[in-house]
Amino acid sequence: MKQDTVTLAHGAGGAQTSELIDRVFKAHFANPDFTGDDAAVLSLSGKKMAFSTDGFIVSPFEFPGGNIGKLSICGTVNDLACMGAKPKYLSCAFVIEEGFPMDKLEEIAAAMEKTAAEAGVRIVAGDTKVAGKGQVDKIFITTSGVGEIMENANTSGTYAKPGDAIIVTGDVGRHGCTILLARDEFGIEAPDVDSDCAPLWGTVEEMFKTTSDIHVIRDATRGGVGTVLYEIAEQSKVGIKLDSKSVPVADGVKGVCGMLGLEPLYLACEGRLVVFAPAEVAPALVETLRKCPYSKNAAIIGEVIADQVGKVVMTTEIGAQTLLPRPGGELLPRIC
Amino acid sequence: MLEAKKIVESYSGRPLRVMEVCGTHTHEIFRLGIRKILPENLKLISGPGCPVCVTPVGYIDKAIQLALMENTIICTFGDLIRVPGTETSLAGARSKGAEIRTVYSPMDALALAKDQPEKQVIFLSVGFETTVPGACLAVKRAKKSGIKNFSILTANKTMPMAYNALHDSADAFLFPGHVSVITGTKLYEDLREKGVSGVVAGFTAEEVLTALAVIVQESQKGKPFFRNCYPTVVKPEGNPLAMQVTAEIMEPCDSEWRGLGVIPQSGLKLRKEYQEYDAELRFNLPPTEGRGNPACRCGEILRGDCCPKDCPLFGKVCTPLHPVGACMVSGEGTCSAYYQYGEL
Amino acid sequence: MCVGLSAKVLRIDDGTALIDASGAQREVSAELLDDLEPGDYVMVHAGIAIAKITGEKVEVQDAGSEENR
Repeated sequence: MKQDTVTLAHGAGGAQTSELIDRVFKAHFANPDFTGDDAAVLSLSGKKMAFSTDGFIVSPFEFPGGNIGKLSICGTVNDLACMGAKPKYLSCAFVIEEGFPMDKLEEIAAAMEKTAAEAGVRIVAGDTKVAGKGQVDKIFITTSGVGEIMENANTSGTYAKPGDAIIVTGDVGRHGCTILLARDEFGIEAPDVDSDCAPLWGTVEEMFKTTSDIHVIRDATRGGVGTVLYEIAEQSKVGIKLDSKSVPVADGVKGVCGMLGLEPLYLACEGRLVVFAPAEVAPALVETLRKCPYSKNAAIIGEVIADQVGKVVMTTEIGAQTLLPRPGGELLPRIC
Repeated sequence: MLEAKKIVESYSGRPLRVMEVCGTHTHEIFRLGIRKILPENLKLISGPGCPVCVTPVGYIDKAIQLALMENTIICTFGDLIRVPGTETSLAGARSKGAEIRTVYSPMDALALAKDQPEKQVIFLSVGFETTVPGACLAVKRAKKSGIKNFSILTANKTMPMAYNALHDSADAFLFPGHVSVITGTKLYEDLREKGVSGVVAGFTAEEVLTALAVIVQESQKGKPFFRNCYPTVVKPEGNPLAMQVTAEIMEPCDSEWRGLGVIPQSGLKLRKEYQEYDAELRFNLPPTEGRGNPACRCGEILRGDCCPKDCPLFGKVCTPLHPVGACMVSGEGTCSAYYQYGEL
Repeated sequence: MCVGLSAKVLRIDDGTALIDASGAQREVSAELLDDLEPGDYVMVHAGIAIAKITGEKVEVQDAGSEENR
């Protein structure tokens, strides 16, 4: 029996492309705004809107806690949410390797459907390309999205101010750790570690219900929380004081990092925000966050200072001050 | 820990230079910020105990040659991938299509060889006494199971001769905890007889501070000393089975250390009976004479003779993203630690 | 030079031990240790259990104590 796979023909733009779209994508994404044209025409209410795009090439494409489909929705939804924007519409572009199993594509689309529904966002446009064997690694997805910015929201990476508290919305490094293990290169298993991949619009909405006095929200994805801290220190021209003891890290992630000599602060997250807000409102924000489904471990991990501009200074477990090492290229396990 | 920290912080005796020999100590000391709490008269110097850092350029060149041969897979511990050779690095070779895998254990390289019998799998065997038994176990198992497509490229080093070379670099040594797990502590007793002081130290904040506190206290007594401050895993007799497998598979040889030159009998190579697993012989590699950047001062830094900031390349041409010398590559390298954890 | 990891032995089977370090598990060689049993704590380096963790840690005391006489 012939195996049901994506073929080059599915990406050729003809009848089979339409068939693929009808059969898989439209079946999952259909809604009144879903377009068959090259772009969706959308009615926006003349308010400020946010627009973002992100490409996903995670290998393996499925992992404990999610798959590339869920990830592709969360990534763009969270990017929009960081601007205080309610995600409204998404587009998605697929590059699929010839021979990719159709049932896996279904699973991916179903995860996208479910995640988009949770985030209250509609997938309104898409593109499908099929690449020859070996030209891509199984499946790549790019999503773009627009969101409507809430009236009381005004966030930017340049708005961090001395005196701000820094909150992380959950334990760090889960996604990066999950992917590392899913690649099965090191023979390590951590049954309790799964990806933190989650759509965070609801979380952001709750934060703004608590206070509109939020300066920066950033999604800690590739490069992890450590990279975000350095980005904000540079963009806002401030220093950052990090209390390493208060950074939440799950036991399993600690164990894996211990085995491989990695720093959890530099492992990717896909469902964690780093929030900068005045110290006065921070405790209330943390309280709110801990009631939300994806931020039960939210914690204040540091503060913004006026000196040490562009640097992240860490208080270590012995109470000494040292720099958090800057993020650097490829994560290479340090073993010997 | 508080007690140990207090002793170290409040030291006010004669100036003391303490060399941490082990790269993992260097890394942890910087990560914990221990140098920042030391008084003026207590100085920590980083020694040559980062295996990646002391591996000479010529070795990297050989590994690259092997990587670029047809049908080979190179298995290595992570850090080695970015160390510059004369022309390029293993990362450079990888971008030209070489297959290079990071492994957690030499055993994983052997398992890969078993899985892929059509490929030649070469494990880059660097590291000190702690790491050698694993490589030896892999070779032993390969021979026993008749796995022919596995070999190792050795640049393994042992510490005893290096202490002689470093004799005058410090007033006391922080001896490497995990090397000592294997070797035991007799060597340190002997060194004490020769007037060389030191303590074996573990790697947690508490263990490092305790070891430093003991050094501070013992130094005040004015006699050469040795103390095992890591007795939970370091036993006087070491790990006899580990030493046995090392002695069975490998034998001492002269070895080149980046920065220190050739130190007689400071390396290990495969014994005759196991030479078929020596990648250098199997692939008939020509001798290489690797050349590093002449301005790079890794050598002096490894001897504790100068500090990274004295090097004209440090932080300018040579950074963790674009390393010139090995000490900037490895997370355990002195230059990398200085750069990453910065002076505030 | 040698990153070590302390871990608990969960299982031993034919020279191989399954170890757990705060939720991360891996099989390591147990060939270099005699008399290893499940429940023991070991130091692991590069996939090899190199020592059993036993006994007490060293403690220091400030001046005035017996340590300084």
